[in-house]
Amino acid sequence: MKTLFSRHVSSKLLPLIDGELSPREAQQVQAHLTTCTRCRVDYEKVRSAIAALDELQTAHAPDSIWAAIEAAHTPQTAPASVGSFRWAYGFAAAVAVILVAAVVWHFAGRTDARWEVRRIEGSPAIAARHIGDVASARAGEWIETDSASRAAVQVGNIGSVELSPNTRLRIVTARADEHRLALARGEIRASISAPPRLFFVDTPAGTAIDLGCEYVLNSDEEGNGLLRVTRGWVAFEWKGIESLVPAGASCPMRSRSVPGIPYFDDASDRLKQALADFLSGNVKGNPLDVVLSESRTRDTLTLWHLLSRVDPGGRERVYDRMAALAGVPAGVSREAVLRLDTETLARWREELAWKW
Amino acid sequence: MYSIALYFFHGDQATAADVTQQVFLKLMTSIRQFRGDAEFSTWLYRLVVNACMDVARRNRSHQLASAQSSRERETPAGSHEEYERRERAALVRSAVSDLPLKLRIAVLLRYFDDLSYQEMAKALDCSLGTVASRLSRGHRILADRLKNLSDEK
Repeated sequence: MKTLFSRHVSSKLLPLIDGELSPREAQQVQAHLTTCTRCRVDYEKVRSAIAALDELQTAHAPDSIWAAIEAAHTPQTAPASVGSFRWAYGFAAAVAVILVAAVVWHFAGRTDARWEVRRIEGSPAIAARHIGDVASARAGEWIETDSASRAAVQVGNIGSVELSPNTRLRIVTARADEHRLALARGEIRASISAPPRLFFVDTPAGTAIDLGCEYVLNSDEEGNGLLRVTRGWVAFEWKGIESLVPAGASCPMRSRSVPGIPYFDDASDRLKQALADFLSGNVKGNPLDVVLSESRTRDTLTLWHLLSRVDPGGRERVYDRMAALAGVPAGVSREAVLRLDTETLARWREELAWKW
Repeated sequence: MYSIALYFFHGDQATAADVTQQVFLKLMTSIRQFRGDAEFSTWLYRLVVNACMDVARRNRSHQLASAQSSRERETPAGSHEEYERRERAALVRSAVSDLPLKLRIAVLLRYFDDLSYQEMAKALDCSLGTVASRLSRGHRILADRLKNLSDEK
């Protein structure tokens, strides 16, 4: 399996984003992207080029063109074939109208679209107006559920988001190249099938970035909450600091603070409590000691994220525990890890991900 | 169509207008040759592609200077943000215009008219794989050339 995914996929990245790959090919490319740094760099390149192309504006042909076309054509056709010329000219004019309409449609398509919102139960509202069974919302509008209602939002053609009761959610951007929501409070369940980094949910504590996944995200109005991933991967980012959360793991979110440290849901309660104590600064009971002793091989997910959050002394202990649990792959040195070399940490994470 | 020609020819408005006229004239004079064995849109896009490529081959000496002169004619009015946006757009336009011909036309067809790979393959008279390859190469070249732009944003 690893061999299958180890072939680089640069030439398939744009077709992936453009939805031009078969489902099987798309799945293979996405799987490769989760482990290959080089192709992820290429992927970001392609995305940055697409974003750059958005800077280009449509240009309108000067009116003088049409007069020139008529002048250029008229002498050659009259008077012998006036009828056919008129027919052809009329047809060309119609084509011109179609072309203009196509251009208008094209640019309308690039602006924010409307997304379908379906009532599941109760009386959800869009822009403070209660909806029937089906309605639509566009960028800028709030979708809200009260204590007795639930709703589902169709996110373009890449998936859906279900709103639990007492949830307030805004559509920020509804474009093919960026689907972005803002969760003010409540809980959403997202199910997305799309290339990585096309779907984002902003919260007061940071942004959940879809890497092809299903997840549940809840947040209070301050941004305290939990991200729980059930399929694929999600990155949670705050001011450039990122936590990577795979399926089966959760990541606490804290208001105006660095993202929490992800842990597997089946980790021991002692580990989870010690992690919470560590993050809140409660050092009573030596929480780092507890986290290290309670960690299993797959809990290297938690330890890997801890590396950059502990002091140098603690980092050595975390490294030693990780090395004992999972070994150290070629290309990863203790010295580079201890100085938090970005490439080395990424390399180690790629290897560890096979055990997560 | 005019936008495609404009960006294809380094922002040269006169050449873009010429190409647009050529396509419409060709459309009017040869509409009877259209026998319906291909979709009308495919036929039309082929006219656009052929006109752009023909003029580009004839004007091999076409220099970036025209784009620069066209940029210089723009009025640098408005806020600082607006000025920066214009500058970014000009850099992107220049990078697109500098792509090799076949990559350039592929990127523009995809970007401005949102053609599917299948439609592009017909318009460009090549395989689906070639379309994917040209688009991928074009985007990677653009990203490399516009690296500073993304860094600044």
